[in-house]
Amino acid sequence: MARLLVQLKLRLLTNALRSSTPAGTTFIISTFFALVVAVGGFYVLALFRGLSASVDLTTVIFTAFALGWLILPIFAFGLDGTLDPAALQLYPLRTRPLAAGLLAASATGAWPAANLLALLGVTVGLAAGGLGVLVALIAVPLQVLFCITLARLVTTSMARLLRSRRGKDLAIFLVIPIFALIELLGQVIPNAAAHGGITAASFAGVDAWMRWLPPGLAAHAIQDASHGHPGTAVARLALLAAVIIVLGWLWIRSLSRALVTADTSTGSSQLRGSALPLARYGLRGTVAARFWIYQRREPTSLVYWAMTAVIMAVVSASTILGPHKHPGVVIASAVVGAGFVGYFHANSVGLTGPPFIIEALALTSRRSLRAYFSGQNLALAVIAVPLLTAISFGLAAAIRHPMQAVPATAVALAGLGAALGLSNILTVTLAYPMTRRTGSPMRQAAPGYGSYTFGGMLANLVGVAVAVTPVILAAAFTSTAPAAVRTPALIICSASYGLALARAGVQIAAREAEGRLPELCQTAIHSTI
Amino acid sequence: MNQPTSRSAAMELQPTAIEEAEVGEPAIEVRGLRKSFGPKEAVAGIDLEIAAGSLAGLVGPNGAGKTTSLSMMTGLLRPDAGQVLISGLDVWADPVAVKAVIGVVPAEARLFERLSGEEMLEYAGRLRGLPVAEARSRAAQLLDVLDLAADAKRLVADYSTGMRKKAALGCALIHNPPVLFLDEPLEGVDPVSADVIRRLLTRLAGSGSTVLFSSHVMELVEQVCDHVSIIDKGKIVATGTTQQVRGGKTLQQAFIDLVGPRATDEEGLSWLGSSSS
Repeated sequence: MARLLVQLKLRLLTNALRSSTPAGTTFIISTFFALVVAVGGFYVLALFRGLSASVDLTTVIFTAFALGWLILPIFAFGLDGTLDPAALQLYPLRTRPLAAGLLAASATGAWPAANLLALLGVTVGLAAGGLGVLVALIAVPLQVLFCITLARLVTTSMARLLRSRRGKDLAIFLVIPIFALIELLGQVIPNAAAHGGITAASFAGVDAWMRWLPPGLAAHAIQDASHGHPGTAVARLALLAAVIIVLGWLWIRSLSRALVTADTSTGSSQLRGSALPLARYGLRGTVAARFWIYQRREPTSLVYWAMTAVIMAVVSASTILGPHKHPGVVIASAVVGAGFVGYFHANSVGLTGPPFIIEALALTSRRSLRAYFSGQNLALAVIAVPLLTAISFGLAAAIRHPMQAVPATAVALAGLGAALGLSNILTVTLAYPMTRRTGSPMRQAAPGYGSYTFGGMLANLVGVAVAVTPVILAAAFTSTAPAAVRTPALIICSASYGLALARAGVQIAAREAEGRLPELCQTAIHSTI
Repeated sequence: MNQPTSRSAAMELQPTAIEEAEVGEPAIEVRGLRKSFGPKEAVAGIDLEIAAGSLAGLVGPNGAGKTTSLSMMTGLLRPDAGQVLISGLDVWADPVAVKAVIGVVPAEARLFERLSGEEMLEYAGRLRGLPVAEARSRAAQLLDVLDLAADAKRLVADYSTGMRKKAALGCALIHNPPVLFLDEPLEGVDPVSADVIRRLLTRLAGSGSTVLFSSHVMELVEQVCDHVSIIDKGKIVATGTTQQVRGGKTLQQAFIDLVGPRATDEEGLSWLGSSSS
């Protein structure tokens, strides 16, 4: 059974490589990144040699790998055909050989191999002496086995949920911590480290509680063996092995249940309230109501707002964490935040997908199209204005320049107007279908439309930056004016300016859309929800 | 063996050879409609006339051009050539007027997944300019008739295929359109939901509205339609009253004779069956 499932996994991998579709490209990129993680992980762990906090840092990295194994299979549930027990439900298979086979299949592939190679960096960075290296050679495979068993347990027990609509929603929300982590590792920590805000010593003592988690047991067993405490090292490894056995037992039980559990219902619940809010305010109010509901109920929309907040924080992070405070970064955050609000909604036809047909069949005139776009902007502004204002105030407080929040909010208001207007125009002139790749919870531009996404982002960021220049200049020239006069004047003028820009965008978009509705319908039809 | 018969039947049932039953003024008129996607000609010049008050079926094998034709008739896809008139209004010259008089149920029930069934129908009604109270009242009545009242407050995302089809039909009917287009309305629908849809369509046509739908279910078309058109390889190969197109056979047989049976080689499956080992 193990051999058969390993062969199945290898066949799935080689088929992905042979595929002429994006799956082939994804496979090559994934394998390349696995290689980068293997080499990079080994190198980083080896660099810890001689550092006072080497065991703390190793524990953090071991725990990070375990978290990766915990989260990523949920995120990519549909990608690995061997992850879902339902695929094997109809075959006459006994649970134990099936479990051994599934475990072997999990250990097959570029990422498990990359995990093993990366963690073997401890043989250079943490292990000392023959006994230390020997324990490291046992601890690392045990840590990888722990990660695989943990991932199997989680995906098997959550399989029913992950196949359902709610599970797919949950997977989309996991984009937020992953995105935040990427920004943290790629932007914030390198910047903070460059300015001396974070050093290796900052990690000393972080494993006070992590050492008792399974990854900590593996790292500390190597440390104990290297420091001449073989008995403690063996005890820690035995404890880790016991944890793996318990997880394996729980997984086999879960697998037995999953193989005989029907999965036809998504277990939906009834919604409260009956009225479509704002519907009494004409077509504009009706469309605003639909977009407003989607901003609350559609996970992708919530992810876009969370990503906007993260991006704004990242832009200001170097100043917040670094020794030098640059008040201007709060304004830069506002510009980038507004630009990304526009970018995330710049393809609303593709994002709406096939249901846009229902709207298109009712949009009969330029006037109704104006109402459509302004209703959409209204719903987005109800969220974007307080969000960007609150973040601007928060960032200004974090850099200890609270008054900087006033020009930042003014810039955000003007920038949002420009961004929404631009997103309306781009929705019509640069519409492209959105598709969902197998296993990916987030939708992306359909193959061949990648440049449209990039063009939309560039147009929004540059457009917003240009549009807010008069506001930034006005804020600079009035910086010495009394706050009681400057604050309301700046906010009211910027809001009015933003409103005018949004209105102009709506007018242009409605005029352009009037002659392009059939083409927009085709873009919508070729999108997936 | 059936091949010569099907070819001769096709010759006999050319659209021009069939005498159209003049029931009333045409509600749908299609003239020389064409559409190509690259080198492939999806619709190769179709002509069609559906009288007002008809319940008409458009049948054809997969890839025959049914969805493409319906998309062009409803203003969702720009044709390369040809003209479509709905109640005398040109779809491509006066889309504003045409949209007001048609309802469309696309092949895949394309609904807003994150709205409840009730919100979905109310939204469709408000988009069509109905007053709030009227939109809510009609939405409630349609949900009741379509047997969706108990699920009115559930998200459309959690609806089954049949429920989605019924909700999509509700959205298309809420403004009481004189002409209704449906693309495969019974695809993947259970018999109970299919019966609800069938009864609603019959009632609608009985009240004077015109219904044109595409379907693979020959029994349904034969039972409910007074007009049938068969499309194959982008061309209408037969059109007329159901009786005329059937030509004394079942519609299923007439359809197979016209579009040609698919050659099969079942000898390779000699192992199949409980008597084989």
